[in-house]
Amino acid sequence: MKFLVVDDSVTMRRILVNSLQRIGYTDVVEAGDGQEALAKFDGSIGFVITDWNMPNMSGTEFTKAIRSRPDGATVPVLMVTARSVKEDIMVALQAGVNNYIVKPFTPQVLKEKVDALSPAAAA
Amino acid sequence: MPNSDGGEESPHESEAATKARSPEIRVVPDSASTNSRMPAASVVEPPASIEQSNSRVLELLARVRDTRAALRNSPFAKLQATQEKFRHVTSATEDAASNIMDSCDRANALVDALDTIDAAEQPDRAAALEIRSRLRDELFQMMSALQFQDITSQQLNHSSAILSEVEARLFEVAQYLDGKGPLGHTSTEATTAPELLTYDPDATMKHAEVRQALVDDIFSDSRASAA
Repeated sequence: MKFLVVDDSVTMRRILVNSLQRIGYTDVVEAGDGQEALAKFDGSIGFVITDWNMPNMSGTEFTKAIRSRPDGATVPVLMVTARSVKEDIMVALQAGVNNYIVKPFTPQVLKEKVDALSPAAAA
Repeated sequence: MPNSDGGEESPHESEAATKARSPEIRVVPDSASTNSRMPAASVVEPPASIEQSNSRVLELLARVRDTRAALRNSPFAKLQATQEKFRHVTSATEDAASNIMDSCDRANALVDALDTIDAAEQPDRAAALEIRSRLRDELFQMMSALQFQDITSQQLNHSSAILSEVEARLFEVAQYLDGKGPLGHTSTEATTAPELLTYDPDATMKHAEVRQALVDDIFSDSRASAA
């Protein structure tokens, strides 16, 4: 399964990519904001992990954009963000996010969420 | 009293006589004699320059009042929050450094243990395998601790936005006091929708588990209501 990791922080992208590799997911594409992610998003992407606050296009805008496409309607989207106010979480839900991780996160939490959302788990 | 001409000076000298002796002296008419020729108001009214000064002072006082109100409602109130953010940054970097150092200490101890195993005549491969796994965990812990960089950069971006806002407001106030512009509401962060900011103003390293539990509850409720 190919992952698309979207975060404007290079440090966070490296941490996420390393964490995914550690739990067995090595096919990862990276993007620095929603706009770049949208350009890289195609039918080969099987899982999206995105930050919220980013320049050019936020994580919620990006999620809405891919949800409006036939090839993005059902792709699991996991938001990883520092935002943790209830109103924000509701906004993310309405945008089409499937699950949500609060920064800073532990590798265990990431594994749980990814495993729970991965198509294999759904099947 | 003798005058300069040697004659006696009369205390009731006529105006004409005074003018004749000293033509440069202008006699100010008394109020009784001028009442009939000049309106009374012109005597008590201040000169135009004083009136102008007075109105200028009143205008400045009004500006000072406006300025004080503007400063009270300005991001100055947020400066205290900025100081708090700086304290958080200091604390987060200190905690992260401490966690990484602890992991380094544990990793060094594990490397020493591997050396001991290797030095044995019959190395315990199973024990070495287990130690290597723990060593990888420690390295991973170090990497995870680096998340502080993302959080603190958001805190610093927020503080920077507040300081820029204060700078803009001070400039605006200076312009206003000089009469060069109105007092508006130059605000950067406050006028930007929270979801459009490139950072989270409330980003924090604290209580991550509690915040994650809140998120999980909301998502559970959402799934339950959807089902």
